[in-house]
Amino acid sequence: METLEKIEDVVITLSEHHEIAEIYEQVFPAVAKFINSKGGSFEDAKDIFHDALVIFIEKKTENPEYTIKSNRAYIVGISKHLWYRKCQKDRHSISLNSMEAEVVIPDDYFPTTNNTQLLDFLKIAGKRCLDLLRAFYFQRSPIKEIVRDLDYSHEHSVSVQKYKCLEKVRKTVKEKSLTYDDFTE
Amino acid sequence: MMTSRNNTRSIESYLNGTLSHADRLLFEARLIIDPVLKRDLFFQKKTHLLIKMYHREKLKEELETVHQKIFNDPEKIDFRRSIYQLFK
Repeated sequence: METLEKIEDVVITLSEHHEIAEIYEQVFPAVAKFINSKGGSFEDAKDIFHDALVIFIEKKTENPEYTIKSNRAYIVGISKHLWYRKCQKDRHSISLNSMEAEVVIPDDYFPTTNNTQLLDFLKIAGKRCLDLLRAFYFQRSPIKEIVRDLDYSHEHSVSVQKYKCLEKVRKTVKEKSLTYDDFTE
Repeated sequence: MMTSRNNTRSIESYLNGTLSHADRLLFEARLIIDPVLKRDLFFQKKTHLLIKMYHREKLKEELETVHQKIFNDPEKIDFRRSIYQLFK
């Protein structure tokens, strides 16, 4: 398990990612202005903006070939949708341009209480596996990079470790879940 | 009988949409007759969602670092002031 402890060292964090820092400076003022105009605080603006950036980064990572016509319009649009949701306002009551109207918050973005509790348990029980699986599935770190940076002898051993982790987490999820009975009814 | 490891891999291929048409049909037929596979599919999907939640939490932690860097950088004082000015 020693190699897994190094996973965080090989994943480039966003603070080292210049593009995100640039987008932050370019777009945060527009989001802050919008939130302020609706009576929100600085902390509201920051929270909403960070959620919008998470959705933006996810979209870019999941489908690198998907072209976002304007990063700014996309992030501001998501921020407006998030604000409507937070205030439980009818989105038709606030103006959206055509690009902003098209953007969508992912259905699974707001977790259930049960899943939040389950994740809290997993973070205690198997954080190293979560980090490895995150790198594979959501950061899309190339397996060759993980092999090189973690000093694996070949790609196969990393792949085996990934499936061991996936099975371990799945087993825990199964043991701790109450929802399967609902699913099968 | 498939081993658990093969089960995990075939479920992953099914969820990723990387099975051939024939293998997909075979997998879906197995789902009907194999309650263990059906249950494993359910929990693997849920596991994937939980890892996604974890990823989002980590991204937000990393964005907080980006925020702190920008808001503590002496060279960004004008940017900072323009934001604070809005909320005065």
